[in-house]
Amino acid sequence: MSELPPIPRPEQFPLPPAPGNPGQRKIVLPPHRQRAHRPWSVRAREWTRRNLFPSRGGALLTLITAAIMLVLVIGILWFVFFDANWNVITANRWLLFAGSFPREEAWRLWTSIAVVMFLIGLAYGTWSSLGRRDTLFIVLTGAFVIFLMAHGGATIWSSIWFLAAIGFLYLGYFLTVWMPRETSPRRTWHQRIVGALLALSLPIVLVILMAAGGASTRQFDGFVLNLILAPVGIVGGLVVAIPLALGRASNMRTIKWTCTAYIEVVRGAPLLGWLFVALFILDDVIGGDLIIRTMVVLAVFTGAYMAEYIRGGLQALPRGQYEAAQAVGLTKLQAMQLIILPQALRISIPPIVGQAIAIWKDTTLVTIILTLRELKGNADSAIAQSEFIPDRIEAYVFVAVVFWVVAFMMSRISQRVERAQGIGER
Amino acid sequence: MSAQAPGSPAEVPLFYRRGFRNVLQQAIYVAATAIVAWYVYTSLDLREFGFGFLDEPAGFAVGSQWLTEVDGVTNSRLTMYLVGVWSSLRAVIVAILLSTVVGVAFGVARLSSNWLVAKMATLFVEVFRNTPLLVQVVLWYAILLVGAPIIQNVINVGDFFFLSNRGIAIPWPVPSGGLWGVPDWFVGVWVALLIAAAVVALRIRAARQELERETGQPQFGNRRAFTVFAAAALISFLLLGVVVSIDRPIIEGTQYAEGMVIKPEFAALVLGLTAYTGAFIAEIVRASIQALPRGQTEAANSLGLSGYQRLTLVILPQALRQMIPSVTNQYLNVNKNSSLAYAVLYDDLFRVATVIQNKAGHALEMFFVIIVTYMIISFAISAVMNVLNARVTSHRL
Repeated sequence: MSELPPIPRPEQFPLPPAPGNPGQRKIVLPPHRQRAHRPWSVRAREWTRRNLFPSRGGALLTLITAAIMLVLVIGILWFVFFDANWNVITANRWLLFAGSFPREEAWRLWTSIAVVMFLIGLAYGTWSSLGRRDTLFIVLTGAFVIFLMAHGGATIWSSIWFLAAIGFLYLGYFLTVWMPRETSPRRTWHQRIVGALLALSLPIVLVILMAAGGASTRQFDGFVLNLILAPVGIVGGLVVAIPLALGRASNMRTIKWTCTAYIEVVRGAPLLGWLFVALFILDDVIGGDLIIRTMVVLAVFTGAYMAEYIRGGLQALPRGQYEAAQAVGLTKLQAMQLIILPQALRISIPPIVGQAIAIWKDTTLVTIILTLRELKGNADSAIAQSEFIPDRIEAYVFVAVVFWVVAFMMSRISQRVERAQGIGER
Repeated sequence: MSAQAPGSPAEVPLFYRRGFRNVLQQAIYVAATAIVAWYVYTSLDLREFGFGFLDEPAGFAVGSQWLTEVDGVTNSRLTMYLVGVWSSLRAVIVAILLSTVVGVAFGVARLSSNWLVAKMATLFVEVFRNTPLLVQVVLWYAILLVGAPIIQNVINVGDFFFLSNRGIAIPWPVPSGGLWGVPDWFVGVWVALLIAAAVVALRIRAARQELERETGQPQFGNRRAFTVFAAAALISFLLLGVVVSIDRPIIEGTQYAEGMVIKPEFAALVLGLTAYTGAFIAEIVRASIQALPRGQTEAANSLGLSGYQRLTLVILPQALRQMIPSVTNQYLNVNKNSSLAYAVLYDDLFRVATVIQNKAGHALEMFFVIIVTYMIISFAISAVMNVLNARVTSHRL
């Protein structure tokens, strides 16, 4: 025991006064925690040894993985820069983006995109911040799009429109500079206004696209169709899901049973099956455009899944919350609105965002059996053109990258919301 | 104690009583639901409702068959549909098995202390989780059709494994005559017997290990179980006399012959399902492992277990408890997502059903059949996973 160095006490290493700056004191570690200054080359070597070559087996694993990665990366780069014929994309830019959307009404599309970007910027500024990584991501995406437009010689206007859209994102973001950061009535109002604008963005966009001689629902096409269907599915799904979840958690038997039956039946069949219903059966029941029926089916389908997640949130709330609401004298409706639902929804944010990402990816399914043509469907049309028949892989890689970018962005935002709200921390 | 608690029936008017309210609300709800249901019922076209059309001759052919040989002329639509169900089941079973392996491997790799391995696993998960499954499946299909060489330039790995745009050919066991001249389908009997013997052997091993724990005496569970299995295999082989040989694939002209040919459609579907579900399972595995207290890893280290032992003896068995419900969900998703076979023209149950609907109409009945089939398969998967879950959670921690 005696050979252990005695634990130094604070008075044994009096903190030296910092020269020239008597107010601030330099933090000095106790001697047993001080480490010699090491140059970066030493630190790099240590890091490499610890993380890549800890042992003979570990080194072998690293080498094998590196070899696999190298082959993959070289193969992919070779394909992207030498093998692939990207003309299939650049020659069909408009087809992939908006398909049969009338070209002379393109300003409506660009305006809607600018509006949505502006609102996203506002939302970022309100609840989060655009970090260096986000900016990098936006710049990379922008470079990707500009490359695509420049490659086939697009008009200068579309590039300007596109840059303007990104400009609107930052405009919205910097508008929130004046917003107070601490909780205050003014901040609450600010948040409410931004939230309301976000909730209204879908109708606003639809009005911009369709009002006063705009496009008809049949002309929603290509990537634009994905961008419209996914929010409809998500928002509609939430609208369907909340009453369903409350119904399933209700103690009135008829309500509980019907809600349970609804959720289980909808979850029993794949989305493709329900789109089959939209195509052949719903026509007799609700009529309307195929695209309207598809929207209904997407909302109904997403609603059943989201209801289960919200029910999970309801169940995760401690019973005390219900009892406390009762004890304060709130009615059932008030208790739901003020105490239960806000907390339950907060708990279920991560799986709900997961479902939103799922529905974003599932908007591709409308191509399979419906006559609607979204991005993947228009990629099929592009490779049906005689000169592009051999370019299937290029077309689908492009579609995959586009969907990946949006889905990845959504998942990153949800992770940030989780961290900001402290969800999942113990 | 007060004589009348507030809110008791005597004091409160009928309209405000809880019981009455309850009944009234439910009555309104049921009435509203009934009206909606009646509206839907009357607006559906039910004049020709019935399932008789399933017994008529199919009039179309079904591809991607294995172990079945049906044609559209003599066989009924129902038979064709069942062949489609069998095709779906094959894809689902293979995809579930493969995605589990992929998912566990990458989930563990994400937590590796090796920086490169962890980053590669993260990349895999992020790429395959955030891309639509449909696009993945058609992309695999495109790669297998366009990216793979034509059969004249087939990629041949030691006459054992072939890859061309006609699919992947691998060796496959086939019955080749018997010692006592039994028919070929006795192979099936033998396989069933082998499985039964394996189950019995595993039971014996478990019982022996239990006894070993109780008495502290060595009981040689592995040795006994192996002996039982080997004896059963040998005796049943001699009794049945079936001979199984491994057929290597060969190329005749522009066709594969012998061996097992995995068609591009099936391969694309299974690859897509495996990568997509594997990425999700990897996330589940990672989360379950991270949810374990750090002390488990430290305890395993202090016992002197190797990395592999630590993972298989300490970490994964405990993480399994948390994993199984979420993984079951993913398996159910595999079942439902197998309907994307439609996009690559693999004749699964959904595709066959839509073809039948195309030929004969009866969309409502066909949808009914589809949803019931998917529910039965889902139920079977849940049942198996529940048994597994019960076994895993039978030991209380």
